[in-house]
Amino acid sequence: MLNNKKINIFLLIIALGLFIFLPRFLSGYWVRVITTIFMYAVIAQGMNLMSGYMGYLPFGNAMFFGIGAYVTAIGMSKGLPFLLVVPLAAITAILFSIILGLPVLRLRGHYFAIATIGMSGAILSVVQNATEITGGAMGTTLPIIDKAPGVVYNYFYLAMLALMVITSLCLHFVIKSKLGFGIRSIKANEDAANSMGINTTYHKVVAWAISALFTSIAGALYAYWMSFIGPDEVFDVMIAVNTIVIMLIGGAGSILGPIIGAFIVELFAEVAWSAFLEYHLAVLGIIIIIIVIFVPKGMMGSISDFTKNRKLRAGKKVTV
Amino acid sequence: MGLQMLVNAILLGGLYALMGIGFSLQWGISGIINLSYGAMVMLGSYISLEFFNFFHIDPFISMIMSGAILFVLGAIIYRGLLQPFLKGGIVFTLILTFAVRLIMENVILKVWSADYRTIRLSYAGSNFQFGDAYVPLIKFLSFIVAGILIYLTYLFMMKTKTGKGIQAVALDKEGAQAVGINVEKMYMINFALGTALAGLTGSLWASIYSFSPHLIGIIVGKVFIIAILGGLGNIWGAAAGGLLLGFAEVAGASFLGSQWQEAIGMVIMVGVLLWRPHGLMGKKFFG
Amino acid sequence: MEENNIILKIKSLSKHFGALKAVDDVSFEVKKGEILGLIGPNGAGKTTVTNLVNGTYAKTTGKVSFKGSDVSNLKPYQIARMGLTRTYQVVKPLIGMTVEENVLVGSLFGRENRNSDMKNAIKRAGEIVKLVGLEKKKDHLVSDITLPDLKKMEFARVLAMEPEVVFLDEVMAGLNPTEVEEASRLVKRVREEKKLSIVYIEHIMKAVMGISDRIVVLHHGKKIVEGTPQKVINDQAVIEAYLGKRYAKEVKNEG
Repeated sequence: MLNNKKINIFLLIIALGLFIFLPRFLSGYWVRVITTIFMYAVIAQGMNLMSGYMGYLPFGNAMFFGIGAYVTAIGMSKGLPFLLVVPLAAITAILFSIILGLPVLRLRGHYFAIATIGMSGAILSVVQNATEITGGAMGTTLPIIDKAPGVVYNYFYLAMLALMVITSLCLHFVIKSKLGFGIRSIKANEDAANSMGINTTYHKVVAWAISALFTSIAGALYAYWMSFIGPDEVFDVMIAVNTIVIMLIGGAGSILGPIIGAFIVELFAEVAWSAFLEYHLAVLGIIIIIIVIFVPKGMMGSISDFTKNRKLRAGKKVTV
Repeated sequence: MGLQMLVNAILLGGLYALMGIGFSLQWGISGIINLSYGAMVMLGSYISLEFFNFFHIDPFISMIMSGAILFVLGAIIYRGLLQPFLKGGIVFTLILTFAVRLIMENVILKVWSADYRTIRLSYAGSNFQFGDAYVPLIKFLSFIVAGILIYLTYLFMMKTKTGKGIQAVALDKEGAQAVGINVEKMYMINFALGTALAGLTGSLWASIYSFSPHLIGIIVGKVFIIAILGGLGNIWGAAAGGLLLGFAEVAGASFLGSQWQEAIGMVIMVGVLLWRPHGLMGKKFFG
Repeated sequence: MEENNIILKIKSLSKHFGALKAVDDVSFEVKKGEILGLIGPNGAGKTTVTNLVNGTYAKTTGKVSFKGSDVSNLKPYQIARMGLTRTYQVVKPLIGMTVEENVLVGSLFGRENRNSDMKNAIKRAGEIVKLVGLEKKKDHLVSDITLPDLKKMEFARVLAMEPEVVFLDEVMAGLNPTEVEEASRLVKRVREEKKLSIVYIEHIMKAVMGISDRIVVLHHGKKIVEGTPQKVINDQAVIEAYLGKRYAKEVKNEG
C-alpha cells in the first residue's frame, strides 16, 4: 500500500462510499453477483488468517459456512428471529472449531489441512442423513422476507458489505496485536515460537475460532438470503477450492488480498461461465495450475514484494 | 451379523482394499495426496467400457489395458506436473492434483456424459451358495482378482529390485541416494503404480456396479478413509482399512438404513484422525 | 548459603533414542550469575541437553529444577516464560519479519508477570536492539542480513524475554575471529548488565576458556569432567576426548 497511512484510510473510505451507492447503478443480477463477491471475501479472510498469516491451511473451512447456514435454518424454523439465530450459529461454529481443533492443532500443518477435509466431509454426511432435523439431502427452507425483491437483495448487499468490512477490520487489528504476533510467529518458525514463550496450541485454536466466527456468519446470511439451502450446496468442496484460488490470486497474508482476489475470481467466473460452459471445469483446472505455478504469492504478495524492494533501495522504513 | 452380511462385507471390502492401496502408496511414499485418484479409478472403468462395447472384451481381461494406460498416465502426470513442484510441499501438490481432477472430470463428462453406465456381462446374474448366503459370481471373481493383485503388489515391493528400491527410498531417502538409487525414479514408479492400481480397480468396479463422473468425489472420500485407517504407505494396512470400511458400510446400511452408508465411514475416519493420528498401523505425522 | 546460589539444577538427565544414548545420566548445576561453559566434541550431546532442559525433547530419565521448582514436565513455552531460555545452533529467525519485529516477539511473550502490552514491549525491544548494536538494521527483513547479525538478533530476541538463564548454543559457529571477539565481549557485557546466568555451549575449547567461570565437559553423552577452566584443560580424560588417546599419552609423557 501507499506510504501515507492517512491517504490509505481516505482512499478506503471513498471505496466504501462507492460500494454503498453502487446498487443504484446496477441491475439486480449484478447486485447479487457483487453480494456473492463480498461473501467470498469474508470466507477468504477466514482462511487468510489461518493460512496466510499462521501457515495452517484449513481445507475444510467451508464446514463453518455450512454450520452457520444450517443452524440459522433450523433456528428460524423453530420461530427464532434472525438476529437471535446468528449469534447462535456463530457460537456453534466456534464450539466446533475448539472441539475439533484442540486434538489436531497440537500437530503440525499438513496434518491439520487433511484432517479438516475429513471433518467437512463427515459433517456433510451427517447433515445429509439427519433428515428429521436438517431436512436431509433435499434441503431445508427459511422464512421468506415479506418485502419487494429489490429491497431484499439490497438489504443483503449492504449486510454482506458490512460483514466484509467488519471482518477485514477485525483481522487488521488482530494482526497488529500481541495475538497477531503470536499467530505470525507460528508461521515464521513454530519451534522458535514455542521456545519464546508462545503457547502455540492456544494461538492456533483462537485463530481457528475467529476464522469460524466470520465464516459461519457469512453462512447464516447466505441461508437467510437464499431462503433455501441444501447440504451439497453449503458444504460444497468447491467453496473451499474457490476460496483457495481467491487467496492464491489475491495474495494471502495481507488484508486486502482476499478482497481483491474475490473480485478477480468471481468476475472472471462470470465471464468464463458463459464463454466456456462445457469446459468450465477443465478451464478452472488449468487456471489453478497456471496460478499455482507462476504466481504463487498472488497479486498482493507480488505488489508487496515490489514495493518493499523499492523502499529498501530508497532507504525508507519498511513495515510488514 | 448374518452370514450374508458378512459375505457382502468381505466382497466389498476386498475391492475397497485394492482401491485404497494405490492412494495410500502415493501419499505415504511419494508424498502426494492425489485428489485426482477418483477420476483415475473412473477412467479405468470407462476404458473397460470401451473395450467391452467395441471389442466385446471382458473387463477382467481389459483391466490389463486399464492398468497399463493408467500407469503411463500416472508417470506422465508425476514427471510433468508434480515432481517439479515437490518443494512447494504436500498442500501445493494437493492443489495441483485437484486441478488434474477437474480436467479429467471435464474430459470424462464430454466424452461419456454424466449418465450412469454399466457393462452388462452375460454371467452377471449368477451366484452360488455358501451356507445360507448367496455369493454373486462377479463380486466373487472381483474379490479373488483383487486379492491376487494385492499380493502381487506386495511381492513387487518385497522381491523385485525396483520394489526394494521404493521401500529403501521410503525408509531413508538420503541413505538410498547414497547407495546410488535413483530417488526421483522410484517416486515416479511408485506414483504410477498407484494410478495403475486405481485403473485396475476401475475395471473391476465396472464389472459389478454402474459408474459415472458423480462417483469421482465419493471415491476420493473413501480412499482417504482407507489410507488414514491403515496408515500411509502401508499395503496391508490399507488392505485392512479397505476391509474395515467395507464392514462399516455394510453394517451401517443394515442397522441404520442405507442412507447412512457414506456417513459411517466418514465419522469413523474423523474419529481415527482425532484419536490416533498415525492410523491403525502406520507412520507418524509429527513435525 | 550455597543452595540459594543455585538457579538451575540438572539431575541424572538421559535421552535414549532406541539403543542410542544421546545423553546418559548427566548432572550439573548452574550458579546464579555465572557463565558455565558446556563443551565437548561434536555429537557429545550438548544440544540434546539443551533440548531436554527447555522441554523440546521428552526426557528418558532425569529431573530439572529451576529456581527451586521442578520443571521437568513443563512445555517449552512454559519454561521460557519462567525465565529459562535458549538460542539455536542453527539460527531460527522468524522469517517474513524484520529484525525489530523478531526482538519484539521475544519482548511480548518472554517472561510472564511483567508489563508486556504493545507499547512497553516495543520500547523494550528498541532498547535491546540498541544494546546489541543492531539499531541500523532494525527494519531489515531477517532474510536480508548476514549470519553474524542473525546471531546478534537471536541473542537480542532472547534478551528481550528478560530471562534469568540463557543457553547459548554454539553462538560462535560460522563467525570469523574478529566477530568471535566482538561476540565474546557482548556476552560478557550483557551478563554484567543484566545479571544473567549463561550456559555457554561450544565445541571449540579456546572460545570457551576466556569467558567461562566453570566448565562442564561432555563426551558420548556423559559428563566426564567439571571444574575451573584450568582444571579442565589439564584433565587427562578431556585431552583424550578431544585429541585422542595417543596424543594424550604423548602429553602425559612429556608433562
